[in-house]
Amino acid sequence: MKNITRRTIVTFFLAAILLAGTGFFVGKLFLNGDSWVSLSANTHIYSGGVLKSGTVMDRDGEVLAASNQGNWTFNDNVTTRRALLHTVGTPRGVISTGAITKFAGKLAGYNLITGAKHLGTAGNNLYLTVDADICRTAYKALGNYKGTVGVYNYKTGEIVCLVSTPTFDPSNPPSIQEDDPNYEGVYVNRFLSSKFIPGSTFKLVTLYAALEEIPDIQNRTFHCDGSVQIGDQIITCTGVHGDLTLEQALNVSCNCAFGQIAEMIGGKKLAKYTQATGLTNNYSVNGITTRASSFNFDSKDSGDIAWAGVGQGKDLVNPCAMMVYMGAIANGGKTAVPQIISKVTLPGGLKTSIYLNKKTEPLITEEAAGIVAQYMKSNVVNNYGESRFPGLDIYGKTGTAQVDSAEVSNSWFAGFIRNENAPYAFVVYAEGGGSGVSTAAAIANTVLQSAVANAPQE
Amino acid sequence: MDKITDLLSYILPRLSWIAEGLGQLAGNLLRSIPYALKWALENDVSIATLYCQMVRWIMPILALMILTSILRSMIRVKNPKERWGYLYSPELGRFPITHWETLIGKGRTCDITVPFMTISKVHCALIFDGVKKWRIHDLTDRSDVSVNGVTIDGSREIEAGDSLTIGGVNMEFETISPKEAAIQEKRRLFTSQSTITPIVTTCLLTVFQMLTVSSLIINRPEHSGTIATSFLIFSAVMWGYILFNYLGSKTGLESEILAFFLCSLCLAVTASSRPETVHKQLMAILIGMAFFLALSWYLRDLKRVVKTRHLAAVLTCGLLCASLLFGTITNGAQNWIHVMGMSIQPSELAKVFFIFAGAASLERLFKKRNLWGFMGMSFFCFGALALMSDFGTAAIFFVTFLVIAFLRSGDYATLLLICCSAIAALVLMLRFKPYIAARFSIWGHAWDDVSGAGYQQVRTMSAAASGGLIGVGSGEGWLHNIAAANTDLVFGMICEEWGLIIALLAIAGIVSLSVFTFRVVRSGRSSYYVIASCAAASMLVFQTMLNVFGSLDMFPLTGVTFPFVSCGGSSMLASWGLLAFVKAADTRQGASFAVKKIKFKNKKNKIRIPGQPPQSVDDFFDEVLEGSNEEYPPLGKDAAQKDPDVGFDDMDDFLNDIDGLFEKRGDRR
Repeated sequence: MKNITRRTIVTFFLAAILLAGTGFFVGKLFLNGDSWVSLSANTHIYSGGVLKSGTVMDRDGEVLAASNQGNWTFNDNVTTRRALLHTVGTPRGVISTGAITKFAGKLAGYNLITGAKHLGTAGNNLYLTVDADICRTAYKALGNYKGTVGVYNYKTGEIVCLVSTPTFDPSNPPSIQEDDPNYEGVYVNRFLSSKFIPGSTFKLVTLYAALEEIPDIQNRTFHCDGSVQIGDQIITCTGVHGDLTLEQALNVSCNCAFGQIAEMIGGKKLAKYTQATGLTNNYSVNGITTRASSFNFDSKDSGDIAWAGVGQGKDLVNPCAMMVYMGAIANGGKTAVPQIISKVTLPGGLKTSIYLNKKTEPLITEEAAGIVAQYMKSNVVNNYGESRFPGLDIYGKTGTAQVDSAEVSNSWFAGFIRNENAPYAFVVYAEGGGSGVSTAAAIANTVLQSAVANAPQE
Repeated sequence: MDKITDLLSYILPRLSWIAEGLGQLAGNLLRSIPYALKWALENDVSIATLYCQMVRWIMPILALMILTSILRSMIRVKNPKERWGYLYSPELGRFPITHWETLIGKGRTCDITVPFMTISKVHCALIFDGVKKWRIHDLTDRSDVSVNGVTIDGSREIEAGDSLTIGGVNMEFETISPKEAAIQEKRRLFTSQSTITPIVTTCLLTVFQMLTVSSLIINRPEHSGTIATSFLIFSAVMWGYILFNYLGSKTGLESEILAFFLCSLCLAVTASSRPETVHKQLMAILIGMAFFLALSWYLRDLKRVVKTRHLAAVLTCGLLCASLLFGTITNGAQNWIHVMGMSIQPSELAKVFFIFAGAASLERLFKKRNLWGFMGMSFFCFGALALMSDFGTAAIFFVTFLVIAFLRSGDYATLLLICCSAIAALVLMLRFKPYIAARFSIWGHAWDDVSGAGYQQVRTMSAAASGGLIGVGSGEGWLHNIAAANTDLVFGMICEEWGLIIALLAIAGIVSLSVFTFRVVRSGRSSYYVIASCAAASMLVFQTMLNVFGSLDMFPLTGVTFPFVSCGGSSMLASWGLLAFVKAADTRQGASFAVKKIKFKNKKNKIRIPGQPPQSVDDFFDEVLEGSNEEYPPLGKDAAQKDPDVGFDDMDDFLNDIDGLFEKRGDRR
């Protein structure tokens, strides 16, 4: 009997597994409850696949979309509607990153205690962090380019501007043919869910790796003859730059110099630093998962590594992750994780949720961040010209990404500004925009002027 | 030092965030009550809506009260240690026999360890048939046990006063005296009475049922008559059972009340999902209870049970064969038989008989070939279930098989081998059964295929989250529109309509059944009861696991029912049947009829305390145990409640003390 009684512990063991599993489920429910509730088949908050209630507003309380018993109305201004399509979304959920789709649970007033059903049926007010004014300006500035503009506060994480084009008016949705080139990728949020060849903006990652890995790199000089053979490949440059310091090489964005630097660092270490900068992360923007950037540093051919180091080849970067890296440089290592929700309130104005600032891991060492920032400033002063950005203490790096399939290059500008009230990091990407300086930098200036003007005064 | 300050500077701000967050949450919660009231006043809200809104707050509190009282006593239950006889050796002392099956040897794992050179590690076994006969079994290879000087061949019946020679050691076999038996019986009664009074809990449960009925009637007005009568009958039967037992001073009814609670949920789930079948479900519960009572009664007699084990094995195999021969295929698995307008699932019933046949008394465990017989039956079952494509039930049988095999043999190597072959079989099954493979492939990725393979799981999760902690209210959910919502996805339905708290309490109920089993088998009399109850509890727990985790995409969805809660007749019957095994292991005298009352004639014997009139031994022990006898307080009720072992430690002294007081000298040892 003693033996058998002792073995009965197995019953206990099974019960423990059941308890542990249940605990795990409860944890998952607490964390994911509102996204589980946001299933369009959930008739507590949906009717016929359309969310019954809720109001989406920008940070100043400008109504972007509101539902009355499943009838959704949008902002009166057509530009606002188009500019914020990918942020606000549509009632039927064709834009998967839209607030109406992603935050349905919050809009409907879901909470852990009473679930999705409560006495008041008017739905909650969801205040986004974006500013409709800035978004309108960004949308206009992008013009006919397909692309994206993102601006966020690297101290608090608030995304003040998020625009993705092409777009359409959710009040009058056009019928879109699948292969219509004007609407290519119209349902995709280019800022959060896409990745593109980064061009020279990626040199800021290579620069970081070089500062950490190559001793005395700042005092070395590099030579550019317009092209250089690395491995089996010829790395071409935009001009013949002659002898350059590291700072000058970044100023003129010299491919020859950075190709050689990448070769010196080597694929393995470059991969390590790329990962450190958070580019390959999936960030969670209030539960919206961003797409991770992708790279290939495994090639045996050092020519491939060199191309990867200057932001060409197989590099594909997510604009949001690039913006976060800019924030990290501005902030000296750690930065705020981007947030899109400012607050949720009951119709009466009572706040129902709290959003805490979340910080990233250190994406760059403090020392390196200082040097990279200093070089980015030098880019603006010595190459782009400060007069392009009147009144802005701006730090940036342009990119002109060549795509094999297109004649005109894609235009990038990424960086940040230092301003007490408007500590913003930004990324601008315009497909077919040509050189980064001429197109993306100009768009960035327009948007940032608006962002600074609209910044809340302390 | 730096590290500590670093850590503190990391933790402190976060702690303050959390505190701030909690504070805000609490504040908001309080402030939202007047808001809700204001809203209700401004808008046109019907009384019925307000009533339902109120009820949803009360139900979890009631359930919490019911369950905590049951669970507390189930988890704390302490069955009295028992004593059935002694082995007395003038040299080595007196060894108490504490179970009906007792192993004797030198080894530490024996129940009676006799530290003597010439005795084998496991030398012999003493087995009591539960009524009056004792047998001794020689477990050595060299025939080294003799009774009254005669060497036995295998086994022999023995009586009190027989002299045993075990490995050269002489011992006298004694059974307990009527005095000890009387004390034992009284103590059993006391320890079971020290648990909860079932009446209060049942009252609370009735209120719970009434609230459920009222909101169900509001939400399902067209079926109000059926729902109300079904609940009323159920409640009446429940009260009948409780009161009947209570009048027979049997109050250890925790497991039954727990089952009543879960069955109330089952009725509510049925009323919400398919109100027209409530009376059918009620019938299933009543038949289940009858089965429970019959099986519990049958299990009282160990001899009878052991004799009919083979019949149960034949029944198990027969039921599964019937499924194979006459079953129709539903959802890919061939496990339903339709007879006379009823649909039954023979594999559910087979579970009960599987345990009945698989558990074994010690007598059976001596021979290895008996384990092979059990394995043969088990593999037949796995084979039949594989042919039926009923993967969920096969998994349940397999885990139960493992539990039984482990309890019987304790042989890790064999079990490991069996597990490995099971994994191989699983791989084969996945290759040849595309329907099961599909369920496995979606596992963990249900949200990737919301309208396809993950359809049910995703909806279960969404509905479960929608319920919050308190649920949306009986009959106000939508998950019941999904196929199999009231069986396979029933956990989601409970979460949605009655809230996470009640759903977790349902799981806690099943868990505490197994903890309860684990505790009561400490004083299990026969290994048959120990194995059967542990196997039954494990089966209930594992089945719950498959059901809950399957519906939430933490396991592959296998279509297994939640014991007692899922709708359906066969599974209800099986659940009650399994409960009978758990009940049978509970040796508290006041627990139930499942344990036979052992009678001793104590009325005849008189005891005379100086200065007092003579009284019957029975009355005397009553006084002593209640603590009302001033002369002998040490065996008082308080002591017995605190620690069931206390009495026994003092018993020998006590008996010596009162030895001179007995009038009839014949009772003395």
